[in-house]
Order: sequence, then structure tokens, then C-alpha cells
Amino acid sequence: MRTVGRTMVTIGAIVWAMSLLIGPLTIHPVEAAKPYEGTTVRVIVNAEYVKYALTLIEKELYDTHGIKMEVEVIPADAFVTKTLLEFTSGRSPWDLIMFTPTFMADYSRHFEPLEPLIKKLNLQLDLDDIAKEYQLSNMYWGGTLYAMPLDGDIHIMFYNKTAFERPENQQKFKEKYGYDLAPPQTWKQWDDQAAFFAGWGWDGSDHKLFGAGASYKENNYSFHWWRQRFFAYGGQYFDENMKPLINTKPGIRALEELVNTIQYYPPGVLLFESEEPKTMLIKGEVPMLVSWTSTGKRVGDPNQSLIVGKAGFGMLPGHQVDGKLIRASPNTGGRSWAISKYSKVKDATAVVLEFVSSPAQSLKIVMDSKTIMDPWRNSHFTSEKFRSSFPGAGEYLDSIKESFGQTVPGVLIPGGDEYQRRLAGAVSQALQKSITPKEALDQAAEEWDKITKRRNLKKQQEFWKQQMSAMQEAGISFHPEWADK
Amino acid sequence: MRTLSKYRLQRQIGMLMSYVGIAVALIFFLFPFLWILTTSLKGNEDYFTFPPVWIPTEPSLAHYYRLFTHGNGWLYFKNSLAISSLSMLAALLFSVPTAYSIARFRFGGSLFSNFLLLLRTMPAIALVIPIYVLYSKLGMTNNYFGLILLYTVFYIPFAVWLMIGFIRDVPREIEEAALIDGCSRLQSLLRVVLPIIVPGLAVVALFAFITTWNEFLFAVILTGAETKTMMVLVASYTTGSPTDTFYGEASASVVLGILPAFVVAFALQRYLVKGLALGAVKG
Repeated sequence: MRTVGRTMVTIGAIVWAMSLLIGPLTIHPVEAAKPYEGTTVRVIVNAEYVKYALTLIEKELYDTHGIKMEVEVIPADAFVTKTLLEFTSGRSPWDLIMFTPTFMADYSRHFEPLEPLIKKLNLQLDLDDIAKEYQLSNMYWGGTLYAMPLDGDIHIMFYNKTAFERPENQQKFKEKYGYDLAPPQTWKQWDDQAAFFAGWGWDGSDHKLFGAGASYKENNYSFHWWRQRFFAYGGQYFDENMKPLINTKPGIRALEELVNTIQYYPPGVLLFESEEPKTMLIKGEVPMLVSWTSTGKRVGDPNQSLIVGKAGFGMLPGHQVDGKLIRASPNTGGRSWAISKYSKVKDATAVVLEFVSSPAQSLKIVMDSKTIMDPWRNSHFTSEKFRSSFPGAGEYLDSIKESFGQTVPGVLIPGGDEYQRRLAGAVSQALQKSITPKEALDQAAEEWDKITKRRNLKKQQEFWKQQMSAMQEAGISFHPEWADK
Repeated sequence: MRTLSKYRLQRQIGMLMSYVGIAVALIFFLFPFLWILTTSLKGNEDYFTFPPVWIPTEPSLAHYYRLFTHGNGWLYFKNSLAISSLSMLAALLFSVPTAYSIARFRFGGSLFSNFLLLLRTMPAIALVIPIYVLYSKLGMTNNYFGLILLYTVFYIPFAVWLMIGFIRDVPREIEEAALIDGCSRLQSLLRVVLPIIVPGLAVVALFAFITTWNEFLFAVILTGAETKTMMVLVASYTTGSPTDTFYGEASASVVLGILPAFVVAFALQRYLVKGLALGAVKG
């Protein structure tokens, strides 16, 4: 017994002595894991609600890496001008830049390529967890990885199940159109249903409700709504020589349909940005809406939504071509992060980028109903926490995941925003019925030619070839014959 | 007797119609501001309620509190106050002697005051890039002094042009009497002319303050995180697809963005009316 006791004391002494020796060693690796402790990374974003999104993770970033973020907001209207002015002068007061990938061509020369940093710092960016199509349009430029997403901006379809499931509605619809009332799969069905629902109480009330919702404001919104149909009808922006193809059959058909159906939309739709139709959807005033995916979080928020549990989600309608349904969900740019080439703390900034875009931290941002940041990682779509966050969240996330495989990018060559704005202007003129769809698109095509010439045709052709081959890889090419089907 | 009462009735109806017209115009123009004000005092759940909540039952300053504690509201408010006040003072300081020398000594010839105004005809957007490049080279971006200097230079031509009229209106004889009594030129300007042109000074001060307070383009391009102004904060809440989540803070920022200019205008109102009326017949 005494021997056992002595042995125990000896073992205890050895353990104590070892703990004294190992103790400092165990502290050391923790210190070594915070090589950037005390570093401040300056971040620039374009709205207060984006700044708010970062407050969700800043404490954990500090606890994990000892890095502080200093977040500056430049209003969206002046963001590109201000940031490009700073960069062009060969400096930048910021280390981590939030930007809209539509401007990737203009920004990329001021960004630090990420691959060398990934190798140097062994960064885990979990790129396999992001849809390939989205990576190409929102993270790469000229084959180089520059950015990680923050906000996965694409469109999906939302609908009010009451409108589609009321037996009276189903019966009336079938009598009038000859097929069953169900969430639309094609743009033809969408237009039929918008006409059917417009002007009466499809929810059983006496209210005069609307046929569908949309955002047709000129400031790029009308462009997004036009290209939902344009690409489904086989459209493409340019041919290989950069001759605009927007005024060909797919473009004209898409715009004619928008013009012909505007009567079924709420008055004021020509001035609607993103929030107005979302509010109409959650108040039960429109039966269906194509919108940004963040709408789902409002739909599921009982504090503001009257359709919690009654909302349906799906991919955008498409166009039937030889038995195949062609769908096109516009990638509307979203927001991405990149590291400034002029930053003096690139390594620390890369660590922040890795942290912010990690599956766990980015999930916090995209799940929070106060942010309008949309999910973008596959793991966001499969997260059990997210899928159970509101009634129908699983269906909502599945629709986004499926839509990611059908996304079509904007014009991602230098001056992309300028091309898009000219086209949006022309589309809006047609929607106002001041010119015909054909005239509007011819006018936009002429404007596009001028932009291309001003920006140097040969250079633009080179950039466009890169985008066109990336789009071809994703299965998007010019098929004007589809517009006749 | 009957004609008199008919005349009175017509007059009263006329008055009534005028007041109704004024009331309608006031409601039309003040309603958006009232809506913003009440939204800044509402809870988040009241923004979309139907029927709308016109006056919140439990008004709260929570959005203002959050603006000052979570955002940079307090810093930007102070920046705006400092930059606008100093630009206003600097504009007065430089424009009065300049206007005095032009009015009294025809400094620069008869076209000089008109030439000064030419500077005002250039749109700000045309100047923003050259000024940014210049400031960047001189290290004057993200700097209070840079903004104050710019606003002062921008405002001086208009202030000078306005002040010339007021100074010309002061009878030379009063000044000559002061000079005979032993005043220097400077003393006669400070002790005799300035007290007479107070309404003009008020107009210049008011316009300089409001113009500077509301200026956005240079305030966003030439500033950094520490030197931004209130108007930049307002825009950062209200542009780029503003979400319903921050309507309260956005409204609070708008109210705070308007309030100081409103207070200054209110304080200088009696001079303003007089000054504008006087200035209107000068040239």
C-alpha cells in the first residue's frame, strides 16, 4: 500500500514537473497562432448595412487572430469614383476592398492575386464549396483569382401559395387557359398567370391585387429583368468580333414581352428598385415575384411578413426548346472582397479575407435577416441551421442552389457598367412606350459600338473573347433560333 | 352699408382662401419631412404597418442613440459643424474686405466682380478630379483644412458679389464723417460699415453655412474615415438599395442632416428677409 502511495506521489511529481516544462510550450503555439496580433486592417464598404454585417464577426476575428477591422463606408453612388481615384493615384487608404464584380475589369489591376498568398500562408478558402460558374464571374479575372464573395446576388422566383392553391383560382385558370394553375415553369406561363391574377382578390379578399411584381427602374434593374428572358431565348451580348447581338430576335422578343405585360404589374413599377416589390410580396399584394435571394429572409420574418409558411420558392421560369427547359438566372453582380495591391499589411488582410469568407463566418452574415447578403457557398445551402431558420427555408435554399448552376453574368469587360447602363436606359424607354422595343435595342446597340470604339476595339475584343469562352464553358452561347420556338 | 359688408365678406373669403392655399402648400412640402421625423422615432415594426403609424405611440430616440454609438454619427456631425462654421467665417473674413475694396476703390476695374462670378459657373463635377489630384499631391486629402479651404474659395466669389451691393448702399458721407473724426479706413469699415450691413452679412453667412453643410461631392471624394461629413453619412444610409432594417437610422441621419441648417436659417431669418430684399435692388 505504501509502495502504491509512493508510486502515486512519484507519478504526481513527474506530471507536475512535466506540466511546468510543457506549460510554456503549450502557451507558445497559441501565441504563434496570432502573428498578426495588434494589426488593424482597414476595410472599405459601400453601405451602412454592409458595415453592420461585419460587426457580426469582428469580435471572433479579434479573439482568433488579434486583428481589428476599421470599417469605412463610402456611399454606393460615389463608391466606384472615389475608390478608383485613390487607386489610380497609386495608393489606397484601405487594405480590404468590397466591390461589385461587374467592375472587376476596372479594379483587378489594383488587386493582389490571391494564389501566391494562399500558398504562402496556407489559406483555406474552401473554393470547392463555391459553384464554378459563380467563381468565374465573381472571383476571377483573366484566369487569376482576385476575390472572394461576400454577397451572392442572383435572382430566384418567389410566390404566394395561396394564389396557386385556392380551388376557385385553379378552376378559373384552367377554364381560361386550358392548363393547370401551378408555379410558372416558362415565361409564357408567367405572363398568362400575371394576366390572370391582375386586378382582383386572388387571395379571396375584395382587394384589387396585382398580377406580379418586378423592379423596372432604369438604374440597371430593367437590364436585369430583360436578360432573364434574353438568355432563355438564346441571346448573347456580342459576337466574337464584338458586334452587339442585343438587338437580335432573342432581345426583341424579351423586351416585347416585358412591354406587353407591364399592365399586369403594380403602378409605379417603372420606378421600383429592389425593396418595393419585396414589400408587396410579403404583404400579400403580388402573387409572384422574381427577386434577389435575400428576399427569402424577409419572407420568413414573422415581424414583417404576412406570408410566412405560405411562400413558395423556385428557379426562374425559362423557355422550352426541343423538350429542354432553358433557364437563365441573372448574376446581378453582388459583392466581393479583394486585397489592395497597395496595402502594407497584405498577409494580415489575407487572413481576414480567409476568416470573413470561411463557411462558418460567412454563414452568420448571410443568415442574419438584417443583412441583405445572399448565400453563396454550397455549405450555406445545406446548413441545417439555415434550413430550419424559417418555414420553407429548405425549399428556398434548394432553389438558390439549383439556380447557381443557371446563372448568366453581366458584361464583365472594361466599361461593363457603362454598357449595361446604356442598355438599361434603352429598355426603360421601351417600357415607358416612348419607342418600340426594336428601336430601343437598335439604339442601345449603336451606343455599345461607340463605347467599344472609344475603349479600343482590339483590347475590348480580347477581353470579350475571354468572357465569351467562359460563358461557352458554362453552356451559354448565341442561339437566335430559340426565340422562334 | 350693404356694399361695405359685401366687400368685407369678399375680403374674408379671400383671406381664407389664401390661408387654405398656404396650409395645403405647407402640408405638401412638410409632409415628407414629418414622415422622416416620425420614422426616426418609430420602432422597426412600425415602418410597414397598414394603416400607417403617423405618430408613434411610444416614440424613442433609439435610432439616434445607435447612430451616435454604433455608427460614426457623432464624429461626422462634429466634422460638419466645424467645417461649415469655419468655412462660413472664412468666407466672411475674406469677402468683406474684397467687396469693400471693389465697392469703394473699384479694385480690379469695373468687370472684376463679374469675373469673380465666372468661377461659380464651373460645375463642381468638372473640377473634382483635378482638385483631387492636386490635393493628393499636396497631402491635403482626409484633412479638415483642405475642405475648409476649398469651400471658402468656392463660396468667396458669390459672397463678394453679394456684399458689393450692400456696401455700395452705405452712404459714403457716413464713412467720410468717420474718417474726419479720426478713424482709419479699417476702423471705419469695422465700426461704421459693418454694423450697417449686418443683414448682408447674415445672408452671406447663412448661404455659406447651408451650402457647405449640404455639399456632398467634395465631402466624399476628399475625405477619409475621420473627416467625413454628415451628408456622406446620410448617403451611406440611403443609397445602394437601402434596407428596411436601417430606415430608422437613415431617417435619424436625415433629421440630423437638416437640423443645424434649419436652426441657423431660423436664427438668421429676420436678417435674411431684410437682406434679400435689400440685396435685390442692388447691383
